[in-house]
Amino acid sequence: MRNPEKPNKVIGLMNCEEFELRGLDLDRLDLDPIEAESAAEHARICTNCGALLESWREVKSDLRLLREATRKDSAPARVEVRLKQELRTRREARVPLGTVAISAWALAVAAVLIATVSWIGWQRTRHQETSTQKTTPASAPTQNAERPDATVSQASTASTPQADPTKRSDTAHFAGSSAVSKGAVAKDEDSGKFTLLPGSLLSETEETAIVRVRMQRGALGTLGLPVNEERAGEWIQVDLLVGNDGLPQAVRLAR
Amino acid sequence: MKILDEKSDALLKRAARGDELAFLALYQKHQSPLYRYALRMTGSPWAAEEIVQEVFLLLIREPHKYQSERGELGAFLFGVARNRVMKHLEKTPRELSLDVMNSDGSTWREPEDPLTPMIIVEKAERIERVRDAVLGLPAEFREAVVLCELEEMSYEEAANACGCPIGTIRSRLHRGRALLLAKLELLRDVPRRAAAGGK
Repeated sequence: MRNPEKPNKVIGLMNCEEFELRGLDLDRLDLDPIEAESAAEHARICTNCGALLESWREVKSDLRLLREATRKDSAPARVEVRLKQELRTRREARVPLGTVAISAWALAVAAVLIATVSWIGWQRTRHQETSTQKTTPASAPTQNAERPDATVSQASTASTPQADPTKRSDTAHFAGSSAVSKGAVAKDEDSGKFTLLPGSLLSETEETAIVRVRMQRGALGTLGLPVNEERAGEWIQVDLLVGNDGLPQAVRLAR
Repeated sequence: MKILDEKSDALLKRAARGDELAFLALYQKHQSPLYRYALRMTGSPWAAEEIVQEVFLLLIREPHKYQSERGELGAFLFGVARNRVMKHLEKTPRELSLDVMNSDGSTWREPEDPLTPMIIVEKAERIERVRDAVLGLPAEFREAVVLCELEEMSYEEAANACGCPIGTIRSRLHRGRALLLAKLELLRDVPRRAAAGGK
């Protein structure tokens, strides 16, 4: 036996407007059971909403047919083929990550090295320019005697096995800083000027090195200088101003 | 098959390294629902095919775009497909495809049951009718109908897929249903509740 209060209660809970909003969810699993009961009751009592539900169920059955008919639909095989092709192409084109990392590091190290070398070169040039400005050149050969310290030092020690660095303080100074080198040059100027060898053309921009050698006076003749035959066998020390090409450009007697 | 049991994340990592089997496992798992959704939304097998292809090309080319902490791979792929579908619909608004062919060129498949030819023809007509009616809905209502009625998603799942509140999905579905009812009743010459669509 039905509860006489129930229809009114249910209709009170869900009117036609609410039924249109939620009543068609009647067959859905996610509809609240209480709402489902109210909707079913309303559809049973209200003719219009009952017809709506019936009509919707027909549409639902059509939708179900469509769903069943298209359930097995899937992308055609050619899509899979294209995607596989793309995957293979990318795999073949891919460079191993390790190689990329190593290359990147190598490039970075090379860049740092280049930057360091450039900076050192720039510092040297700047230092040289500063030294040039501080020194008042007495003559062209003396000017040319101003050169990078390291070069002078290396050239001096490498090329003059007979050289005696302790004998003259200025020789030792060549291995020191540029300021010291400048002092040494000044002393050399005191001790004597360089004499250009015949045929040599020294330019101011050319880098030179002073090489102290011990030789017989007669050997000066080979450099194109006049020699006193009587003293040709005498041992002397000379400073040779050597140019970039490794040839002596000027000479002076050392004490 | 063991590979199908693997989690999508693991498969995707392997696929990103170029593992073809892992990629195919992912493809087989997800392509069909994506294709059906795209087909039902666009009504064009060619467009659906293109959309599915674009979705998986994205997975090949930019697998990092999927972040597992933000949701399932399936939801991500659906989101991508949905964007593509919406772009397609923007380009070709209200395009109604009357194409009854499947993407492979065949006609609609009928269930293999012992039906009389008359019943088969009638069923095919009903399917075509409802298909056209769905395609005739505005995109947002169509999407709600496709997801909730054809793909049988819950409101919550559909809301997640569309990135909108559940209330919005319910509202769109209500409107979609009303329009669908009106269209189909008019087609069937039984305008019992045609007015409901206009509310």
